[in-house]
Amino acid sequence: MHRLSSLGILSCLAFAGALATAPAFAQESIKIGVPMELSGRFVAYGASGRRGVELAAEVYGGKVAGKKIDLLVRDIQSESQATISVFNELISKEKVNYIIGPIGSPTVAAAIPAWRQGKPIWLVPGSSSTKLEEEIGQEPEFFHTFPYAYNYHESVAAALKSQLPPGQKVAIVYTDDNYGRTHQPYAKKYLTDAGFEIVAEEIVRTNAADMNPLLTKIARLKPDVLLGLVQTTDAVTLAKQIYTRKLPVPYLVGTAATQLDEWQKAVGPAQEGWVGVTTYLPGLHRPGNTEYPKLFPPSDEWEAAFVKKYGQQPDFEDAGCYVTAMLLFLAIDKAGGDDKDKVAAELRKMDIPNTLLGTAKFVATPSGTKQQAFTNMVVFQRHDGKDLMLYPPGPETGKIHAVKY
Amino acid sequence: MDFLPQLIVDALLLGGIYTLMVIGLALSFGVTRVINFAHGEGVMLGAYGAYTVFVLSGIDPLVAMPFLMVAGCLLGMGLFRISIARVLKEPHVNQILLTFGIGLVLQNAALIAWKADERSVVPPYAYSSFELGEVIVPGGRLIGFGVALTLVLILFVWLKRTEFGRATRALAEQREAAVLMGINVSQMYALAFGLSVSLGVATGVIMSFLGSISPFMGFHILVKGFAIIVLGGLGSIVGAVIGAFLLAFAETAVSYYVPNGTGWAEAVAFATLFLVLVLRPRGIIGQAVAD
Repeated sequence: MHRLSSLGILSCLAFAGALATAPAFAQESIKIGVPMELSGRFVAYGASGRRGVELAAEVYGGKVAGKKIDLLVRDIQSESQATISVFNELISKEKVNYIIGPIGSPTVAAAIPAWRQGKPIWLVPGSSSTKLEEEIGQEPEFFHTFPYAYNYHESVAAALKSQLPPGQKVAIVYTDDNYGRTHQPYAKKYLTDAGFEIVAEEIVRTNAADMNPLLTKIARLKPDVLLGLVQTTDAVTLAKQIYTRKLPVPYLVGTAATQLDEWQKAVGPAQEGWVGVTTYLPGLHRPGNTEYPKLFPPSDEWEAAFVKKYGQQPDFEDAGCYVTAMLLFLAIDKAGGDDKDKVAAELRKMDIPNTLLGTAKFVATPSGTKQQAFTNMVVFQRHDGKDLMLYPPGPETGKIHAVKY
Repeated sequence: MDFLPQLIVDALLLGGIYTLMVIGLALSFGVTRVINFAHGEGVMLGAYGAYTVFVLSGIDPLVAMPFLMVAGCLLGMGLFRISIARVLKEPHVNQILLTFGIGLVLQNAALIAWKADERSVVPPYAYSSFELGEVIVPGGRLIGFGVALTLVLILFVWLKRTEFGRATRALAEQREAAVLMGINVSQMYALAFGLSVSLGVATGVIMSFLGSISPFMGFHILVKGFAIIVLGGLGSIVGAVIGAFLLAFAETAVSYYVPNGTGWAEAVAFATLFLVLVLRPRGIIGQAVAD
């Protein structure tokens, strides 16, 4: 009995010893929280985001500053409450120093109070909402790697101005959610500044089953351009109902969905002629970075490798999250390890030309974000089932086509 | 500007879709007194069924619809016998929690099976339309309206003319008397529930080419569906049909004649519902539901 007890005590001690050494092993990795919309209405964004981050970790070699990259991927379900729970878990329980994601404007907004609890370095490769920069743009731990709403509309207005004759009339359709309400004033401002006349601004409820009444009203105003500031389900409904009734508006612009494979498949032939705006498109033929050729190869090479691995073309968040994760890994390496302040300082110092999204350099925006990278956007049109570049001007740029039914 | 002719057409076609959405709900509640919070998921499964059949075999959603409805009916009957039959005598809140839970399970099963991408079926008629003077009539919606009208008529004929239908009505109107007459309550409840699911599946088939399909589409349909059946009167199929068209006309009129009306349409529809509930709590022609 005594022997058994001694054995038991020894076993317990050995077990306790093993537990005590466990954190030492855990320190051999660097934890990075990756909260993404892996289900729910923004899954198209979140699934790409996850893919981009995981691909970056793989290309980087799985280790940073000599330690294993431990990606803590979590599904925030495109819901505010789930987002808050995941952020609380990553910050309070996992004690991560770095977070990449989420992407949707509403989910990023929902995460802010929970993020404030610990303020890890937060790289946000999504959310075009200017509410975000009003709330936390000044925070030194916040790094935004996606354009804001005004960047979208600056590009769209410039593209339309360069492609269409002056004095064109525009009708704007926007949803009553965060996305639509944030984008609408910027769309109006930049289009008006570019010489367009806004003839209608129609709000539509998210998940509206019938947009025909507003399309009838718009048709009677005879605009030259319809600009849809709507996402996901609403973008599908709008495109289908426009195509069905053969809306007599020659140019259709969508800011949220036109570049998405999911939207293109869902609307089928109704995608033809839609103009979209995005940060990245396959076929841009961007040059690679000479200092980090493995991490940032020419875009053609990267796309070919991506297609080989995943069997599909990358979308803008594949590229956006890939580049964002790479910047974090490089900063951790340069900081020499898991030191949050040093990593933030390295991110601020970065100036890397020719990434997939252009030059990676965090600069202040006029509207209040201290650390903002990547504001260049491309405007394109779905034409004959392919993307036709419309803006910025360059050798690949084509001429806009009116919609044909 | 005169929008009236287009308003009437739009509202009628929208009313047809709303009718499809709610007759199943009204039938199951009218007979079993169970508020089925998983009805929207029946619609969602119907839409995915049509999508899958179309993608795999190219069979048109309208051709697949009768087969999907039969499958939906069997699924509904099975679901009723396995789970819902056990809570028939329990408080309403237990029934609601159970059906809500079933809905969540079905949603997540769809998420696993089809992922959460927005999908849609695009048969040629989905994008067809024609003009009557200045009025535009979308072909897909017209088909939806026709299907709704046909199914409502078949349901009424079934309820009035067939033995099963009469038994169903007897149960809805006076359960104890129906039992004394030898009607097999369990069997009829399961049949009514199965038919309700199959009507939901038919709605999903129509929605598959009119809108977009996702695992979460059922929730919005459910919310609107409940508003309509409460407006029309819980348990009344005629009331549900009237409620559907009333709501469709209210929403469409607001969309046309109120500035930014498409954004306000739903709010006004729910305000109408609120008024009806205050002035006439049982709905337009509903039954009193005291228990």
